[in-house]
Amino acid sequence: MTAALLAAPAHAQNPPPPAAGPTNLPSPYSPACRGGAAAIAGVTPLPNVAAALKRGKTLRILTMGAAAGRIGQRGDYGELIENVLEGALKGTDVTMINRGVSGELADDAVLRMQDEVGLEMPDLVLWQVGTNDALAYVPAEEFAATVENQIDWLKAHKVDVVLVGLQFAPEMLRDAHYRKIRDILRKVASRENVIVIRFYEAMEILNKAAKSGGAVPAQFERSEAGYSCLAQYVAHAITLGIFAKNVPKRPPTR
Amino acid sequence: MTAPRGRPDSGSAGHIFSENLMPREPNAVDFWRGFALITIFVDHVPGIIYARYTLGNFSITDAADLFVFLAGWSLRLMADGGGRQRPTRDMVMRLFGRAFEIYTAQILITMLAIAILAASAILLHNPLLLQWHNAAAVFADPVQTNIGLVLLTHQLGYFNILPLYVVLMMMAPAYAALDRYAPALVLPVSLAIYLFVLAFRITLPSWPESNSWFFNPFAWQLIFILGFVLAKPNRGIGAWTRRYIVPLRIIGFPLAVSGVLMQLLHWWPDPTTVPDPKLFFLANKTYATPIRLLVFLGMVAVFSLAFRYIRMLTDVPVLRPPSKGLIWLLSLLGRNSLYVFCVGSLLSLLAQVARYVYHGSVGSDSAVVVIGIAVMAYIAWLAESRNRSGPATQGSPPRS
Repeated sequence: MTAALLAAPAHAQNPPPPAAGPTNLPSPYSPACRGGAAAIAGVTPLPNVAAALKRGKTLRILTMGAAAGRIGQRGDYGELIENVLEGALKGTDVTMINRGVSGELADDAVLRMQDEVGLEMPDLVLWQVGTNDALAYVPAEEFAATVENQIDWLKAHKVDVVLVGLQFAPEMLRDAHYRKIRDILRKVASRENVIVIRFYEAMEILNKAAKSGGAVPAQFERSEAGYSCLAQYVAHAITLGIFAKNVPKRPPTR
Repeated sequence: MTAPRGRPDSGSAGHIFSENLMPREPNAVDFWRGFALITIFVDHVPGIIYARYTLGNFSITDAADLFVFLAGWSLRLMADGGGRQRPTRDMVMRLFGRAFEIYTAQILITMLAIAILAASAILLHNPLLLQWHNAAAVFADPVQTNIGLVLLTHQLGYFNILPLYVVLMMMAPAYAALDRYAPALVLPVSLAIYLFVLAFRITLPSWPESNSWFFNPFAWQLIFILGFVLAKPNRGIGAWTRRYIVPLRIIGFPLAVSGVLMQLLHWWPDPTTVPDPKLFFLANKTYATPIRLLVFLGMVAVFSLAFRYIRMLTDVPVLRPPSKGLIWLLSLLGRNSLYVFCVGSLLSLLAQVARYVYHGSVGSDSAVVVIGIAVMAYIAWLAESRNRSGPATQGSPPRS
């Protein structure tokens, strides 16, 4: 397993020194998702989240973009993240606000996200973005500009952001535009110095595991397992972002 | 918005067919409803080139506002029975029946959409399509999600207008009854609900997924009711707007232009700095906020003239065929809007699959739009043909 890939540092091309994570997280992943915790190294700090926790032990996370929604019997993707985070950040009250709209392009999410930030005052936006734009053949440069501008807006408004990358399907490996959107999202995250969770790679790993006789043979069981892992990766990346040291820090913006 | 003008023998503009079973004459309401339907069809194909040129790209309002407003207008025609006022009980039952009809349409197109996604995933060997448009939960967690589909608390992406319409039609009997016994209260009640909902951000939750409805019915009911009260030509605010339509257009013009400027120049209020209650100061679609609503009403006032001028073009020899064709097409679609909306929704989804297969280009996008409009027109024509060849539909409610 190379879950190392999953929560890629924004500056993946120039990996920063390992982050000093919280000491009470010996095994942040379930066995199926384990394997790459050490590689969640160059996590970008989340200064606004850290500041929010200092202020009141509460954390408000707004989820936007292609909604993962409810995947299987394990419940809601947001609920999974909330549970994992509350387990990791003892005593913290995590509130997940799901405003994802399935099928929505990045450009269509922009104003809605800004409104939701104003209304819900989150500390962090978790934005799953790229899949719909890739399937709709939105030009990659246009997509990149949209995401970049939105990240700038969020930073200017004292909100941290974690991007969740494209969903995986083996068939999409052959799709040049899909790969282009996936790659440009990483570049945007790198330029903007924000965390991007490489969901595509996560699912690719699960897929390979399933093909080699893993315990998750069915498509939706893989999806369910994938989202369960994703929730863990997101939660762990956020946790590391809160405690991140030895990486280029953005000052808290509030 | 000028009132629909039916043939004298139709008894009502609300009847699609006159007694000789000829469709009612083209009118402004059907025309603009046809326009809204085509716009929604195009807008629901994300990434398509032509979606860059629809109303929502040039104003902070879009075709959804127009569709709901005209649905309210149709409610007036249904509630008043086209000049043959029915007993209140009959009217209430008729309106609930219409709500149920729209509900069944929503369930049907949702099931067909799920089948389209499943078939596409199989034929294209791409399981990713099963996760498109909120469909993943249907396949992965069917026990709860199927209940959610039936309750309308789980909606597929781009299949969220009819659930709004169902709730609006469920409210319609109460509003229509109030209109009979205390018409002066209809708009104040609607406005009070709207303001309360915006002030306290009350909405309908999604289930089993923890989210909320994309279109908040308690907010959007004001647009619906505005259509309802403005459609009444001889009393109340409907009569008042007709009396003062010229000054209203003068007021409406800068409102409409400001909506265009906001959209084109990104003059959006900063949502983090506006005062509470924030929704009163944002241009938010989910809550059909006041800024959006005022711009929309300004556009309605200004464009209420447009159909008259478009019809005048039919008197210009060189413009006669295209203008007549346009009026015929949009009115045909508008007269059969529920059928057309349902078919358009499914065509939008098919178009998305087609764009995925053909990678979207000017050619394929043009084909999508032309074929889509042609199929919608054919369905509308078919619906009218069926009615022409069937028993007289005297007394049937207007399609909305």
